[in-house]
Amino acid sequence: MKEILLRFSRRIKDKLFLLILLFSYSTGFGQQVNVRGTVSDAAGPLPGVSVKVDGTSSGAATNGSGTFSLKANPNASLSFTFVGYKTQKVTLSARNRTGSGDYVLNVTLQSDDTALDEVVVVGFGTQKKVNLTGAVGTVDSKALESRPVQNAVQALQGLVPGLNISASGNGGELNSGRSINIRGTGTIGAGSKGDPLVLIDGMEGDLTALNPQDIESISVLKDAASSSIYGSRAPFGVILVTTKKGSSGAAKINYNTSFRRSSPVLLPDMMDSYSFVNYFNDASRNGGGGAVFDDKVVDRVLKYQKGELAPNDVVELGSGGKWNYDFTNADVDWYSEYYGNKPLSQEHSLSMNGGSEKWQYYASANYLDQDGLMKYGRDEFNRYTLTAKITGELSRFVRLNYSSRFVRQDYSRATYMGDGFYDNVARRARPIRPKYDPNGILMADVNYIDALENGGRRTEQQDWLYQQVRTTITPVNNWNIIGELNYRVNPYYIHEYGFKSLAYMADGVGTYTATTSIGNEYVYDKAYRSNFFNPNIYTDFTHSVGKNNFKVLLGYQSELSKYNDLTASRNDLITHEVPVISQTTSATPSISGQYQNWATTGFFGRLNYDLDGRYLLEANLRYDGTSRYRKDMRWNWFPSFSAGWNIARESFWEPIVNKIGTFKFRGSYGELGNQNTDVWYPTYVSIPTGTSSGNWLVNGVRPNTAGAPGLISSSLTWETIRSWNGGVDIGAFNDRLTATFDIYRRYTDNMMGPAPSLPATLGTAVPNTNNTDLRTNGWELSLGWRDRVSSFAYGVRLNLADNRTVVTKYPNETNSLNTYLPGYYTNEIWGFQTIDIARSQEEMNAHLASLPNGGQNALGSRWGAGDIMYADLNGDGKISEGSRTISDPGDLQIIGNSAPRYTFGLDLDASWKGFDFRMFWQGVAKRDFFPGGLTFWGTTGAGQFWSTAFTEHMDYFRLEDNLMGPNPDAYYPRPLFGDKNQRTQTKYLQNAAYARLKNLQLGYTLPASVTKNIRISNLRFYVSGENLVTITKLAKSLDPESVGIGRQGGTVYPLMKVVSAGLSLNF
Amino acid sequence: MKNLTNTLIKGLAYCLILSLFSSCEKHLERPPLSDIAPENYLNDESHLAAYSIARYNFRTQALQADNFGPYTDDTHTDNQATRGYNNRFVPGQWRVGSTGGDWSFGNIYPLNYFIQTVLPRFAEGKITGNTTNVKHYIGEVYFLRAFEYFEKLRALGDFPIIRTTLPDQKNALVEASKRMPRTEVARFILSDLDSAILFLNNNPVGGKNRITQAAAQLFRSRVALFEGTWLKYHQGTPLVPNGPGWPGAEKDYNKGYQFKSGSLEGEIDFFLTEAMASAKVVADAYPLAANTKVIRRTLSDNNPYFDMFGSADLSTYGEVLLWRAYSTALGLAHSANHYLQFNGGSNGYTRGYVDNFLMQNGLPIYAAGSGYAGDDSVHLVKVNRDWRLQLFMKAPGEVKALTNVASPQYEGYPNVWTASDGKNNYATGYAIKKGLSYDYTQQQLSQNVVGSVVFRAAEAYLNYMEASYEKTGAVDATAAGYWRKLRERAGVNTNFDVTVAATQMSEEAKNDWGAYSRGVLITPTLYNIRRERRSEFIADGMRWNDLLRWRALDQLVNTPYQIEGFKLWGPMEKWYNKPAGGTNLTATNVSSKTLSPYLRVNQINTSGNLVWEGYRWNVAHYLSPIAIQHFLLSSSDGSTVSTSPIYQNPGWPTAADQGPVGLK
Repeated sequence: MKEILLRFSRRIKDKLFLLILLFSYSTGFGQQVNVRGTVSDAAGPLPGVSVKVDGTSSGAATNGSGTFSLKANPNASLSFTFVGYKTQKVTLSARNRTGSGDYVLNVTLQSDDTALDEVVVVGFGTQKKVNLTGAVGTVDSKALESRPVQNAVQALQGLVPGLNISASGNGGELNSGRSINIRGTGTIGAGSKGDPLVLIDGMEGDLTALNPQDIESISVLKDAASSSIYGSRAPFGVILVTTKKGSSGAAKINYNTSFRRSSPVLLPDMMDSYSFVNYFNDASRNGGGGAVFDDKVVDRVLKYQKGELAPNDVVELGSGGKWNYDFTNADVDWYSEYYGNKPLSQEHSLSMNGGSEKWQYYASANYLDQDGLMKYGRDEFNRYTLTAKITGELSRFVRLNYSSRFVRQDYSRATYMGDGFYDNVARRARPIRPKYDPNGILMADVNYIDALENGGRRTEQQDWLYQQVRTTITPVNNWNIIGELNYRVNPYYIHEYGFKSLAYMADGVGTYTATTSIGNEYVYDKAYRSNFFNPNIYTDFTHSVGKNNFKVLLGYQSELSKYNDLTASRNDLITHEVPVISQTTSATPSISGQYQNWATTGFFGRLNYDLDGRYLLEANLRYDGTSRYRKDMRWNWFPSFSAGWNIARESFWEPIVNKIGTFKFRGSYGELGNQNTDVWYPTYVSIPTGTSSGNWLVNGVRPNTAGAPGLISSSLTWETIRSWNGGVDIGAFNDRLTATFDIYRRYTDNMMGPAPSLPATLGTAVPNTNNTDLRTNGWELSLGWRDRVSSFAYGVRLNLADNRTVVTKYPNETNSLNTYLPGYYTNEIWGFQTIDIARSQEEMNAHLASLPNGGQNALGSRWGAGDIMYADLNGDGKISEGSRTISDPGDLQIIGNSAPRYTFGLDLDASWKGFDFRMFWQGVAKRDFFPGGLTFWGTTGAGQFWSTAFTEHMDYFRLEDNLMGPNPDAYYPRPLFGDKNQRTQTKYLQNAAYARLKNLQLGYTLPASVTKNIRISNLRFYVSGENLVTITKLAKSLDPESVGIGRQGGTVYPLMKVVSAGLSLNF
Repeated sequence: MKNLTNTLIKGLAYCLILSLFSSCEKHLERPPLSDIAPENYLNDESHLAAYSIARYNFRTQALQADNFGPYTDDTHTDNQATRGYNNRFVPGQWRVGSTGGDWSFGNIYPLNYFIQTVLPRFAEGKITGNTTNVKHYIGEVYFLRAFEYFEKLRALGDFPIIRTTLPDQKNALVEASKRMPRTEVARFILSDLDSAILFLNNNPVGGKNRITQAAAQLFRSRVALFEGTWLKYHQGTPLVPNGPGWPGAEKDYNKGYQFKSGSLEGEIDFFLTEAMASAKVVADAYPLAANTKVIRRTLSDNNPYFDMFGSADLSTYGEVLLWRAYSTALGLAHSANHYLQFNGGSNGYTRGYVDNFLMQNGLPIYAAGSGYAGDDSVHLVKVNRDWRLQLFMKAPGEVKALTNVASPQYEGYPNVWTASDGKNNYATGYAIKKGLSYDYTQQQLSQNVVGSVVFRAAEAYLNYMEASYEKTGAVDATAAGYWRKLRERAGVNTNFDVTVAATQMSEEAKNDWGAYSRGVLITPTLYNIRRERRSEFIADGMRWNDLLRWRALDQLVNTPYQIEGFKLWGPMEKWYNKPAGGTNLTATNVSSKTLSPYLRVNQINTSGNLVWEGYRWNVAHYLSPIAIQHFLLSSSDGSTVSTSPIYQNPGWPTAADQGPVGLK
């Protein structure tokens, strides 16, 4: 950092010299006088007010009794600034001196009405925050600053109450998305989506493909009244992103950079090799089988661990000249091996803006280079963005906005790092498996190092080109006609090739296809392109009659999205050097391609009325049509209403308006439709066909295949969303304290439900139909405190939200527990009550004897010491799941709920004399989770090849005679390659609540007195970290952010912990 | 600048007009661009071929899901065993499911869709292409519907007969849930097969990779024999329509059911007659592959009978009527050799099965002068025995890989001591060799391209022999001819009378559940017909169906049966000595010497072992239970089982998770 500064200062040293000279001149010849005084507001003296002599770096702050003193040139003007107040300027020459020639200034600061003037971006316009009647959450660019995250979505998590962002897919993969919802479950996901609509400068876009530094503000439209202007595209809320634009004046240049070091947040710790072989042997013997590893292998494992074998003596000769690779004796922690990279990444952004009174520009570029955790076959992600915006006044009546945004994402990984890799790490990466065979060659039969390193790569390149033109015509004051043309091209290209991984014979010469290898070498290419075209035309008119203010908006919106793709792959390469599809040789390439499109059209209107800002009314209406439905049910009306009452504007509030400046009640109701069906043509049936896809060879080739068309319900129609919202906004003590509370109820009616159950005689999938209703209740609270004590400024912000969803109607005629139950909360966990682990065979026998009508036979056989004793809740003398219905749940009961409750974000910040500090916690205060699969359990019912062994699993039940020593008070039951002890039950129900230190940053801004000399208006250094601390009671093998996703009960790519250092420079 | 403004305004105005007035409806009318509508499909020969081939659903080596295929379908019978047991032998452990099970129509629906769509078009001559081929594919679909229905008949007996697709309306579906008596189901299957035979030819495009007329005839004999013998042996029980306690009588729609032929005896005769007729068509036309009586040691050793099961291309074997091909290049290979034939596959033949094979002289091993060499080693047990045992069971020292390997690989001592890991363990010591490829690469995971036999003509010989004997009580000349051909190929004295005379049913009862029907021993002649079937279908996956239709499990209700493997605790014990001294055999990996000199696969582990005393039976197990969900979904109120048209199979309750009640 020092070098950069030095280099920089050297470069401009001549100018600097001149500057210093000038500075000395001006101070040298100025005649300094004493200035003192008191600063107060309506309530009394104000401490901590900053007093600056304009044009210089000298200044002071008021003390505890609101007084200050400093020296200044008699021609100078002074600025008084304090958070929550309007800045006041005092020119000394306009004031009288005291007898001693000093100035005594008594300044009264006016509370800052900017809070009142603050505008919030809403659909097709802006609204004063104080006049908002809907539920809108906002985030400004500050909250996203200096976060060493990959994209804006990651930074948004926890910032807005009710905006829920969680990990999805395989977890922390560099190209994996996050799932986003507003106010919880909107649909049950059977045929339709409940994702929010994301609009970037008014056009649908992708939040991950955006330069985070371009973001000016984000509005989250949460209730139907706020989002209904967007109609059928926005039934579950809208995320409106507004990007920065130019402002008039000399060019302002900003440069931001950060360097980051990433590491996994959580990696399971594998058992050591000796524990592992005994663990697996115990599991097999407990189930009545023989040992998985015979004495000889166990003995070699132990000797190797003790160092009694040579370091390369990890395997013996097997059959056919191969190594006996299933029975090796090394000791490797494969998780830290595979995820062992601690990548150094960087981000650079540069932006410029400026312009004249009539024309302004903004241009920015951003480069992100983020590498992944994979030690072998590195995974890499790069993003490049380029944005340009021009805003201009073409004439007195016409303004033009043009913006162009280009985003490119490059992602690359080893071909073998597909979905199956996550299984393989857990189930096949046993600690006894060595990296190298005794000849020092990679053992490709039992580890994936060669496969990852040499097995080919997959690269994905995705571009977004956004073109936006907007013309605003203002024929008369208060009347605007706006025409927008938005166009987006989104090409995506995937290139993948896979090579066989070869294993070596014991002679070190012969090779053969390794067990880890793919069967055929191939090259695969896929290109897709989507074109999105979206014209909007709307007009607004504002008019006031006395204290009555009206605003009318009318508009038309249309969207057309076209998609096409082309995929080709062919086996057998001429040479590994050229993995290109034209250099492949197989006679049977695989090719596919398709064209798809959808369109919507909508007409909308909005009326705003307020009486003196006291009584607020808003009504929206939208008429929407979509290509997803046939003509007869294509069009729909969506109305919404909202109202507000600014009590603080009433005369009776006058006495306390100084204390509580804002007090507003809001209420809204709206109806929306959802056209976001999973399939683009939900009302058409088609024949499923396959080309050369049959698996029954005819004459040596794969035949074409076809199947019967599915069924379409004749009654398929729109989902309707109704939402009620009530809220209150409070601002007190000059907006030092702000609070917003919302309570809502949202109904999703006529929802596309999972197909109803029909008698099996139908013989095909029951078509989805609109047969389901759900209701979500929730509330959101946002509390903020911001103040300054002397030069110490600090703020606290707490977001807290909760929602619960009940499926109120669902075609579950048998009241089966296996699907949604009407009247029950979603995500209920049904399970057994655990009595305990039986500590002895006698204890188990006694327990079974208490169950005369079948014991625990319904769950498994061979019950013994170390097995689970389940409680007979229904007293029928046996343990069973009954028929898994409400009327016959057997011994099952609701033992928890896996929906996240009380999601929160806690943001603390402080600054003092150029130092700034921020700490941001995010979490879930209540959540249950029942873990399944090998990640939590180790050994599973799917057998030894679908089992694993982590250190936590060592805490399993062992009797006196066990090689690993007795462990009668174990957490885990005795291991088995069976699932009878792993039934959903109370003992192993996990508390998945957590709090995670999402961001911690410490920055220092050089004093203006220093930076000014080198013509830098602002220079800040910072260190910042992500995901640094996690507080949770969850099992150690699971990450609270990734429970419930991934494979095998949680085999995910670890989320990343990031530590970064960076600087931000403004000219 | 002004020009720019004007252009923009004009452009916007144009867009406005275009968008608003060029009809929003047109803008929103977007049918699928890349999908085929139903009316545009099943109009051409090629459509029919593609549709039909995708419905093939035979028990062949599944690709990844199942590593063994039919080679291990005889596991959990008296023929083959693994370490572990099937709940069907532990009454009380096999329970009524809450969902799923055999009561499913998912495979029938697309076949019905085809038949109802294609036949009218065919009748109107609207299907383009070669008529012979068009007819052939229609025949295939009839065959496939019969095939799916036979699975239902076998598992559930009485079953709804649904010939068309149904709407997604509950009433129609409930109405269609009525179970037709099994005799009706069997007749429906035969009639579908008659249609199939009418349409199919014997030389389709794709040869014997596709269903042929002969295959349909063979399958027809299988179905008819199954139903004929089922009715014969289960008569007088609730498992036969109109039998005492037949649950069908509880439902109005089946009350007073009249057999098509007027009586049960008439039905039995009908099915046996049909079985004979169809079997004869095939047996007379298709000779058996030759057995050169050579166990391969070098590449020049050929034995078509063995190679018919161990080659990549089976098209040259006349005995094979339908087979499935594999290809590594096309990504369609399996792993049977990796697990089973090259290694142990955690599977093996039982001692009872091995001892049941005749000597080459036609005598059972226990008969005086049989020349039986004893079972002190796997080698000895094969000396002078039926060639089917010699060919299709491994012995240590035999060659197991010749090509694509530096030096020949030999079979080692059977590994009976390591865990049942699916690959290395030899469950009984008597290991399966059928399907072995001598190509070393083919024993690698997912590299095996050995073709899989679905139908072969030998079954027709056996079906005729059995059906004719069951019908007439005598071995007619045709049956005798077939029998001699089978024994000749097996290298066994073709004079079966020698065998019949030497057969002692009390001895056979120790080794063979099929020595019984209805819990009593059968006659030696019929028994030897059954023995021929058992020996010929070694590792072919035919055993369980035979035991069910013969009602050959009743004796296990009171007398549990202990599965044994080879004679571990004899001279072979020393195979397991470690070089450094001591043995690999422990109390927890093999059964104790004090129990039996033979390896007892179910007596290795005591704790909670539900089959320690041996395999038991409950008569209800002859049919599978129907899961509770199906009663509830077809009931009037979603909860009252009695309002459903479905009735449960005999002995099974209508409550989830419960074992049989009532029957024993």
